[in-house]
Amino acid sequence: MRICALRPRAEKAGRGLISEAETLAKSLSDLLAWEKVKRRREIFSSVCCYSLLGALVLLPFHVWLPNVSRGWTPLVIFLLLSPVLFFQQRWRKEDSARALARLDRALRLDERAVTAWEILPREKQSGPETFVVTQAAERLRGLEPKTLFERQLSWRDYSILPLGAFWLALFWLGVGSPVNGGNQMPRTVALAHQLREFSRDLQDTAQREGLSESLKMGRELEKTAQKGIEQNSSDEKFKNELAALANKLDAMRKPTAAQQPRAVGESDQTLKDLKAELQAARELLNAPEGANRSGDLDQNMLQRLSLLPQLQKQFDQAGPAFNQDTVKSFLDKLDKEVTGEMDRRTLLEAQQFLDRLMKDGQGEKSDTDAQVAGRQQRDSPTDGDRAQTRSNLPGKEPGKKEGVQPLPDFPAGAPAHVKGMIGEGGSNGLVFKAKPSAGKTEIPQEEVLANYRRQAEAELNTERVPAELKETIRNYFLSLRPGEGNR
Amino acid sequence: MQAAGTIEDRMQGARRSFDTLKAELARVIVGHTELIEQLFIALICGGHCLLEGVPGLGKTLIVRSLGEILSLTFSRIQFTPDLMPADITGTNVLTDDPSGRKIFDFQRGPVFAHIVLADEINRATPKTQSALLEAMQEQSVTVGGKLHRLENPFMVLATQNPIEMEGTYPLPEAQVDRFFFKLLLHYPNREELARIADLTTAPPPAPLREILDTAGILQMREWVREVPLADLVKDYAVRLVLATHAHSEPANGGPALVQKFVHYGSSPRGLQSVILAAKARALLAGRPNVSFEDIRVMVAPSLRHRLILNLEADAEGIGADKILAELLQQVPEVP
Repeated sequence: MRICALRPRAEKAGRGLISEAETLAKSLSDLLAWEKVKRRREIFSSVCCYSLLGALVLLPFHVWLPNVSRGWTPLVIFLLLSPVLFFQQRWRKEDSARALARLDRALRLDERAVTAWEILPREKQSGPETFVVTQAAERLRGLEPKTLFERQLSWRDYSILPLGAFWLALFWLGVGSPVNGGNQMPRTVALAHQLREFSRDLQDTAQREGLSESLKMGRELEKTAQKGIEQNSSDEKFKNELAALANKLDAMRKPTAAQQPRAVGESDQTLKDLKAELQAARELLNAPEGANRSGDLDQNMLQRLSLLPQLQKQFDQAGPAFNQDTVKSFLDKLDKEVTGEMDRRTLLEAQQFLDRLMKDGQGEKSDTDAQVAGRQQRDSPTDGDRAQTRSNLPGKEPGKKEGVQPLPDFPAGAPAHVKGMIGEGGSNGLVFKAKPSAGKTEIPQEEVLANYRRQAEAELNTERVPAELKETIRNYFLSLRPGEGNR
Repeated sequence: MQAAGTIEDRMQGARRSFDTLKAELARVIVGHTELIEQLFIALICGGHCLLEGVPGLGKTLIVRSLGEILSLTFSRIQFTPDLMPADITGTNVLTDDPSGRKIFDFQRGPVFAHIVLADEINRATPKTQSALLEAMQEQSVTVGGKLHRLENPFMVLATQNPIEMEGTYPLPEAQVDRFFFKLLLHYPNREELARIADLTTAPPPAPLREILDTAGILQMREWVREVPLADLVKDYAVRLVLATHAHSEPANGGPALVQKFVHYGSSPRGLQSVILAAKARALLAGRPNVSFEDIRVMVAPSLRHRLILNLEADAEGIGADKILAELLQQVPEVP
């Protein structure tokens, strides 16, 4: 009778224990799930904060960083950092124990929760262990982890917004962007821009100087540049086009043997002067008073033409006896030659520019925008560049090997003087004026005496001369008078 | 599996018994509540205690009262330099049997009691001390080649006077380690002193009532070992014991004082003592499991005599209690 009455109670008690264990397990798993969510949020906010901090630190150095747009830097850091932090701060078993210990402390459970959490997975539980589970379940009934352990905002959470705003402000102000405004155009487009700039300058010069070939080439260059800008063609293709243009230029600027102009050796400035003088001469000749009936140039006209120095030089080279017709034809011919030479030089300049552009395209040091804009003003020769001097301009004859100066011919038996070559560094010398030989240069005797006195003074200022003798020596040199030496 | 109700009854019963015991002892002993609790814990854990305190603080009274209240036999041995091992363990004496023949009869020594008070244990020679310490460890004595079992429960409470060290034989470290607890008796405060005066100068109080019998104590000894202990809490105790070693890993949180003043840290017996005492404390508090607080409270009595300090600590007056207090502050409960 008594056993029968106790059985339902025991079963009820058993069911009660099972349900309490389940309740406790659910409460604890809810708590741990909430803690995991909090952890993930913390990691996320940390990653955000560190990404923004990193982006802020890197902002001024963006020019030197790999080719990533400044706007993407926080995202890139975020993507790099998040796997590391999420792995490093992943949820471990000790974290669960920590969370439960915190629960025990918060609810003053005297480590019942953490003990029950360890007991729960055991299949066989002793009486005291079951009692711990029961007590923990009772205490944790109705546990609201989200209320009990509200999410605490850390300094990282608070700093995200200000950091983001600060970064946006700096980004907007363009901190760290390149000088050209950050428009990092592709290399081909940049080269095409340079080429177009140059071609326009070239056309201006050609039009001004009346250089037909250069004008034609300038237009062609502009067309190629425009194509490069609009089509954004590949590096290789653009370089091929440049090479083709360079070849074409090379072919255009080579004069035939018959076309060898007489102004080949002249400098740019001389050619310009000559061109201007030719223009002036033509105007003079075309003027009503410029010609007489007999076709000979009158004396006045010749005098006026002789005032033009470059032209006079050409006349001198051509020879005497010019009448008006021969002068005109000479001037026409000369004008044609000068224009042709100037054209040739402009084309050479264009070819050199193209060569340089192609080198730039291969990753060498490129011209800056300022250099492109001021193309007319050539830089002084620098390391690795050849100077645009007369010596390396195209000449009439093939050049000789430089560096080793050939020795002059020495006639046998005759005294010879070899002029030394002054190299780099300073030099020291003392000029002595010796007594001239008969029939040659003579130096005035006063000058020789003055020179002696200077040397004597210099020696007297040293310690080589005894102090007691200095006065005597000085007096001697002062007493020397011109003409005394002859006596 | 025992029903939860039975376990709850057990917990409540243990707690009630202990509360009653404290209340009954409070009739004759003034103060020393902490000491009484620690003595009872050592008793239900099956350990022995080393009491240290100046004379006249009531050591003997406490031990005798405890014996009375628990209906346990009590004996007191005053250790002196001329005390022999046989004076403790007992000896075979020649007697006549009823038929008139001469036989050896074993006369049991004072060690054959439930609670033995070894007063001023450091005054006896090491040989005599060893006789007692062997009995403590084995819970038996061998006399004349015959093994004699000691009482169960058996508890030795040895006292030391910390101020009169002349002519003493300090206990070797290995023997001190066999004591479950080392308890310190503090001088009573003003109110306690006034109450002591009242109690001792008034008519003697009514005899103490028996609270717990031998069977009850043995039962409690079993219950103590069943108290669940979470791995996290156990790990805390382990880290604390490890941190007493000067050359322990820094991760264990060994404080600077340990590095500087501790020559040898606690033995594994120290950890056993801490955990078992924490379990007993939880049981007496009516709690089904061990808490961090139990571990913290039991660290000092369990470990203070197990730390071997160097000469520098002696010179600077640094005691084991100070080092342990620092250690409790440094080592976190959850790593």
